[in-house]
Amino acid sequence: MPDIAMPSRPRVLVVDDSSLVRLYCQSTLEKAGFEVEQAINGIEAMEKVLSEPFDLLIVDVNMPRMDGFTFLRSLRSGAGHAATIPALMISAESDMQDAADARAAGANFYLVKPVAQADLVRHACVLAGARL
Amino acid sequence: MPLVRGSKGPASDGASAPHRAALDSADAESRWTAARALSGQVDAVPALAAALGREPVLRVREAIMTALMRIGDAASVEAILPYLRSQDAAVRGDAIQVLQALPDAIAPFMAPLLSDSDSDVRLLATELARNMKGSEATFLLCGLIEREQHPNVCAAAIDVLTEVGTPQAIPVLERCAERFAATPFLPFAISVAIARISGAEG
Amino acid sequence: MDDPKGGAPRAVPITPEEVQRFCEFLYRRTGMSFAEGKRYFIDRRLEERIAATGSSSFQGYFSLLRADADNEIEHLINSFTVNETYFYREDHQLRCMTASLLGAVVSRKTAGGTVRIWSVPCSTGEEPYSIALWLMENWPEVDSYNIEIVGSDIDTRALKAAAEGIYGDRALMRLSPGLIARYFSKLADGNHQIDQGLRNSIEFTRVNLIDPQDMAQYRDFDLVFCRNVLIYFDDASRRQAAENLYNCLRPGGYICLGHSESMSRISPLFRVARFPDAIVYQRPEADHA
Repeated sequence: MPDIAMPSRPRVLVVDDSSLVRLYCQSTLEKAGFEVEQAINGIEAMEKVLSEPFDLLIVDVNMPRMDGFTFLRSLRSGAGHAATIPALMISAESDMQDAADARAAGANFYLVKPVAQADLVRHACVLAGARL
Repeated sequence: MPLVRGSKGPASDGASAPHRAALDSADAESRWTAARALSGQVDAVPALAAALGREPVLRVREAIMTALMRIGDAASVEAILPYLRSQDAAVRGDAIQVLQALPDAIAPFMAPLLSDSDSDVRLLATELARNMKGSEATFLLCGLIEREQHPNVCAAAIDVLTEVGTPQAIPVLERCAERFAATPFLPFAISVAIARISGAEG
Repeated sequence: MDDPKGGAPRAVPITPEEVQRFCEFLYRRTGMSFAEGKRYFIDRRLEERIAATGSSSFQGYFSLLRADADNEIEHLINSFTVNETYFYREDHQLRCMTASLLGAVVSRKTAGGTVRIWSVPCSTGEEPYSIALWLMENWPEVDSYNIEIVGSDIDTRALKAAAEGIYGDRALMRLSPGLIARYFSKLADGNHQIDQGLRNSIEFTRVNLIDPQDMAQYRDFDLVFCRNVLIYFDDASRRQAAENLYNCLRPGGYICLGHSESMSRISPLFRVARFPDAIVYQRPEADHA
């Protein structure tokens, strides 16, 4: 079983149109040793992902302009490094169909809001370390 | 560079009839041109609303929404409101963007939207308060929060209050924090909102 | 703003929470964001705007700002950005033009075909002239195509100055002495005037980006530079302008926005296109759902 090694200060992009959710993720993950960037929707996220390296994406489903599914599908269909960044999808929906949709769009994991800090950190660590 | 605010279209004089007909054209470019020509034309709302419901091409849908936005009366708002319930996130987002630009026109619709039986609609409706005056937005969102059971709807309302809320919101937010004390995120969100509203040192 | 008691106005104290509220609003509205170390800079600008608007508190100012009373958003953004225009500003986009965009554009054209480029707003002409200079200096195929460059602005005084093409040293600071010698003449007052040939090669026009009728006359552009103007518009006007600009582009044509601007807050009509030198936006080749 290979070791899962986390990059020394993994960079995570939090994509959510709510400033409070971004702040919550930022303060939680910074305490856990991540470097956190923010984006307000899928288009801004795409621009950031194409310009800077990230070890993990945390993506809300319900965002204006470009929703989380569209963003992930678009990312996964592109070439290069950005296409394989692990992605944790978060959603206000608890519908099982959404979890299936998330996997189909290219998310590695799916959590339902509100997300407890411990869960966020645990899943973020696993996913950020999962890319070798 | 000085800005010139956009102006509404010329007053309707019946010349909108050919454009309304062209909304049905087989050719997307013609439908697009028609939608643009009807921007600001009050008598075109029913035709624009109908066209919006069946338009397959994105840029034409966008032009129709913009035309309705430029009209900006109660009928336009009513034409756009159903799209808050769309399964398509892009459509919902577009409806929100346009309605947010019409704070006066959307005001009479806020109370029913914020008590809609669909929690997703209530959640989206909180965004519409963002461009309203602080006192008005606070009144509407506090009313919602006091009776709201769904934590994610509360979270959305709290997000808007973080930006626009007045001190009247603080006791309501404190009660909300008590109700949801055992859940993740909401107590955090409420503490940030209260700090921002009261301008207190963090 | 005069203090009725005389003397300098007292600075209104601003708390960190108020700065956060302001920064979140600015980010949501414009995409502008500031690193931690810029706190002092933000405080100073906020104090200036609070004083300039005669507001007695941050909250009073913030309400005014949210309502965009007296074009306060425009004043605020102006105070936060460096507004001067000069030749070869944001040259990474010019590099992108010759390194990436034009190749895609001319792949759809025959030799001798027309390439149409629009600089809007063009202000006093630095941008359209920069495009022309850059093409002549950096694009090997510049003589293989008929290049039309249009420079447009809402401000007729700026357009008049652009047509005259006279610039001081600051505007030329990014240009090499050789380039200046090749394309400019030095005037008696020490300013430089760009050569007649270049002045004649740019078509200068007046346009209002938000007016669909105005904008409908502009069609078939392969490249549009629309930098640092959309950021000032309210949401409704931005949406209208983006729609207008879409119509001005050829299918597959590209549009470049300013440094901190993004279509993400404006319109879903454009595709994000990433190149080595810049991220730009593209009108899709064909209509889609």
